[in-house]
Amino acid sequence: MSGETVLVFSEEAEAIPGLLAAARAAVGPGPGRVELAVLADGGGPAGSAVGGADRVYRLLLPENARHDPELVAVALRRAQEAANPRLTLVASTKRGRETAARLAGATDSAVSTGVASFALEPEGVRIRREVLSGNALGEEVLLGPRPIVAVMLGAPVPAVPPTTPPEIIDVPPPEGAGRIALVERTVKPAGGLRIEAAERIVSVGRGLRKKEDLSLIEELARAMGAVVGCTRPIAAEAGWLSDDHWIGLTGHRVKPRLYVAVGISGAVQHLVGMRESTVVVAINKDPNAPIFAQSDFTVTGDLYTVVPALVRALSGA
Amino acid sequence: MSGPIRLWVAVKHGVDVVLARADRSTGTVAMDRAPRKTSDFDRNAVEEAVRIREKLGGTVTALTVGPPTSKEALRDALALGADEAVLITDPARPDLDGRGVARALAAYARTHPGFDLWFFGEGSTDHFTGTIGPRVAAEIGAPSLSYARRVSVEDGAVLVEREYEHELEKVRAAFPAIITVGQEINQPRVPTFMSTLKASKKEIRSFGPSELGVQPSDWAPLARRDRVFVPEVNRKRQAVSGADPATTARGLVDALRREGVLP
Ligand SMILES: Cc1cc2nc3c(=O)[nH]c(=O)nc-3n(C[C@H](O)[C@H](O)[C@H](O)COP(=O)(O)OP(=O)(O)OC[C@H]3O[C@@H](n4cnc5c(N)ncnc54)[C@H](O)[C@@H]3O)c2cc1C
Ligand SMILES: Nc1ncnc2c1ncn2[C@@H]1O[C@H](COP(=O)(O)O)[C@@H](O)[C@H]1O
Repeated sequence: MSGETVLVFSEEAEAIPGLLAAARAAVGPGPGRVELAVLADGGGPAGSAVGGADRVYRLLLPENARHDPELVAVALRRAQEAANPRLTLVASTKRGRETAARLAGATDSAVSTGVASFALEPEGVRIRREVLSGNALGEEVLLGPRPIVAVMLGAPVPAVPPTTPPEIIDVPPPEGAGRIALVERTVKPAGGLRIEAAERIVSVGRGLRKKEDLSLIEELARAMGAVVGCTRPIAAEAGWLSDDHWIGLTGHRVKPRLYVAVGISGAVQHLVGMRESTVVVAINKDPNAPIFAQSDFTVTGDLYTVVPALVRALSGA
Repeated sequence: MSGPIRLWVAVKHGVDVVLARADRSTGTVAMDRAPRKTSDFDRNAVEEAVRIREKLGGTVTALTVGPPTSKEALRDALALGADEAVLITDPARPDLDGRGVARALAAYARTHPGFDLWFFGEGSTDHFTGTIGPRVAAEIGAPSLSYARRVSVEDGAVLVEREYEHELEKVRAAFPAIITVGQEINQPRVPTFMSTLKASKKEIRSFGPSELGVQPSDWAPLARRDRVFVPEVNRKRQAVSGADPATTARGLVDALRREGVLP
């Protein structure tokens, strides 16, 4: 379809280049427009320095207002009214999903989150997303005016500088203060790991008996030039690895060329995070572990013998 | 805050993702006929409300939107300690989309004002859109505090500690407020035989569109679900084994080198 506008918004600057690219692909070549709304809440001029938008709306929110999705949605709604887009596109991050939901409630429109792919069709916006905790894919058509889609983005793509400076429009702040007071915000102490971008991952589950044994897994990862990933229990329950390593429905989505699952049963909520891997290896002592049906190469055995043998084989010993 | 605290919890009777099966010939899942159960995070939501009531007194009301069979989710909530249960149902539209569910809950809140805190799951097990709680909040003009990992009630206000991908926040809002929770917030109790028995005897109040002042068009779907299908997995499923661990390991390394996935 041509001649349509997609309005892009994200609270997070790093999501914007990926959203702009997805929006541009959806409007196609020709007269379609991509417009961008960014938060100007003291967090810096993010967005206006990014290429790919025909117009930029700066949402002039009070200092540091992104903790209040109501304020953000009110401001975004003003940009939406000005842009009159066929589709409003946000990132399916936690903040993005909440902003999308509040905007949809305020405008009584269709919304979908966790969207894997979307297309503008005459009847509505056709989307594909995971359902049933990642067991299945659902296809839906969002009907009515002003649909909102929160799309899943892979690894961040670098921003390209604008070829011509975009037109900039300031959206005044909403009247009145928000109803949520920010008491404290801390940035998580992350190891800076970007597991989404990893080429190879050695991932570990509850087959590991104790934290100290992680050294085995780390050794294998080093020998393979891989980063270490894990299942939810290892990060969220045992706390042996930080959340950056956690793969699955509620963790990170990865698509490495090689995924080695060590002592992982293969619960659907884990599989959904690694399904896009090119080659999958499973090492498990249980020959009936569900992960085996989702793997290219399977080794039935005790990880405590298989992993050290692999490390030796890789080092040529 | 005036009087004892009124806690509401939205619970969904969703598709059981473990028992749901795709039709072999078409690869699609018939969602309307699939077995159902209470959505996982909604148990955490009920547990959190019940813990607050155990500390401060008040009442916990569980609400669900769906066909009469979704009373099962209300029975679960009652067995976990909820005091009252409300079913919102429209015989003409047994399964509403997200817009319909949010508007149904908002309509109940408008016609039965008076909650102080309203708990939702962060996402439902089957659809996981994470939109219903904040959407209801937008409909009724309440603050939404999502992704709570810790909730403490103060005098007429609530303090929430919550978690984003890269940040942690502590936020505060006055009553009434909507809160969404995930599985990290607590470990839901296991219902006892007695609590289940008691729950089975409790009255469930039922409301339809006319009692909530809703026009049929208010609940009309804005999303058309075309199909739910299970993507094909085409994995090799090659077992690698050798006479001893060293041979097996070499076999695997050779296979991965042939695939070109090792440096
Ligand atoms: C709403 C929801 C969201 C969730 N989100 C996620 C998510 O994002 N990510 C996630 O991973 N999980 C998630 N889960 C949890 C998921 O359902 C599983 O519980 C989890 O993935 C299991 O982790 P695991 O495979 O490490 O442990 P287990 O299921 O306990 O499996 C351990 C495996 O190790 C094998 N094993 C044991 N000892 C050895 C040995 N010595 N050598 C070799 N193999 C051995 C066993 O045979 C078994 O297969 C979620 C659950 C819910 C309800
Ligand atoms: N039919 C329903 N009835 C009551 N509450 C619901 C219903 N659907 C969703 N919810 C609530 O909204 C939360 C998020 O659902 P979802 O937006 O589908 O991910 C759930 O955890 C429930 O608390």
